[in-house]
Amino acid sequence: MWKKPDESKPQSGTDSPGFAAASPTRTNAPNAPPVSPNAPACVSQGITIKGEIFGKEDLFIDGTIQGKIHFSDGCVTIGPNGRVNADIEAREIVIRGDVTGSLRARERVQIWGTGKLSGDMQTRGIVIEDGATLRGKVEVTQKDEPVRSARAGASPGSADAFTRSAVQAKSPE
Amino acid sequence: MGFFAKMRFPGDRHASTMAPSRGGTGAAAASSQGVASAPARAAHPSGNLRVSNGLKEFLWNLDGLGHGSLLDLGPVWQSTITFFVERGFKVYADDLLRDWKHFVTAEDERLRKIQPGEDASEMTPDSRADRFLQSNIKYPRDNFDAILLWDLLDFMERALVKRFVEHLADVLRPGGVIFAMFHAGKPDSFHRYRILDRQTLELIATPALFSIQRSYQNREIQDLFRGFRSSKSFVGRDQLREVLFVK
Repeated sequence: MWKKPDESKPQSGTDSPGFAAASPTRTNAPNAPPVSPNAPACVSQGITIKGEIFGKEDLFIDGTIQGKIHFSDGCVTIGPNGRVNADIEAREIVIRGDVTGSLRARERVQIWGTGKLSGDMQTRGIVIEDGATLRGKVEVTQKDEPVRSARAGASPGSADAFTRSAVQAKSPE
Repeated sequence: MGFFAKMRFPGDRHASTMAPSRGGTGAAAASSQGVASAPARAAHPSGNLRVSNGLKEFLWNLDGLGHGSLLDLGPVWQSTITFFVERGFKVYADDLLRDWKHFVTAEDERLRKIQPGEDASEMTPDSRADRFLQSNIKYPRDNFDAILLWDLLDFMERALVKRFVEHLADVLRPGGVIFAMFHAGKPDSFHRYRILDRQTLELIATPALFSIQRSYQNREIQDLFRGFRSSKSFVGRDQLREVLFVK
């Protein structure tokens, strides 16, 4: 079937994300690797957040979030242990856990085989692995058609391989 | 509009009557159904493919519709979603058989906990069918142009089937089309279906959610869909009947 883009796969060998460098507790260790200023934010397993989250970088969620998530320019990844009950707006959304809510992705939504989405999505591209669960509406917008955003200022993203192409249907031969 | 004009089988409500049709989809073509073409098999080494004249007819009915709405009641597959999205459709995915399985499992658990003497009136098949439909397929009236029903009805209990079809008739707009399948006998294994191209389905063997509840005869199928103005059916060598219903 499709090949998962390497850049969206967590780099860790385990199910947990390999974002330990972003953890403040690890940074104090003598041999801890330097923390990149661009390391994705991480909501680890066991953490619950209720409310609205804003950001511009990437976000990895392996905990529980209820509310709203706005990462218009970033990639929001829901890990295999992630439980999200929130509307999500992002450049790209990757689902490996459970999500309930509406999604707006400027570029694409990926649902892995372990992913479950209950809610509508509006995006320019969609990737669904066998075994994924989806209950909701899939609306794919064209590259020159802005994804309707609850927040003003969402600019259309660059063209990508998943952009819908107009296909003329024909009668049976 | 074209959608109505293309349906030219008024009064043809007998599922076993093979009306002459475009593209040789009559009895002769139907008899060759069930075996995918060599190029399709070569492209998909799994080989579990099925040439579907019902699908071809279903899509023909949707031609020219533009930005329609489609409800897929099977599991979500990339190829099926992409197929319709590329044609401008909004696709609603709702794996109803899986939802029904979860519902029945929960109901059975609930039933086990009912003590002797407690009121179990709402645990009747009719009652639980009503409750299932109250919490599923919650869409506005006339919301969809097309529904992929697949072979779900064969696996649903009798009390649910009639109510479910009535429910589908509500959410389908006038002129909308349903693509359904019925097994003439007990199938060898449990399959889900995904669309590969305009006339090819891939059968995906999966662990059975339910066993076949019953095999519907033509007359029973007609009765179930009596509110629909026309129907057309194709029977394959694998004894799988594909039927289109137009509201």
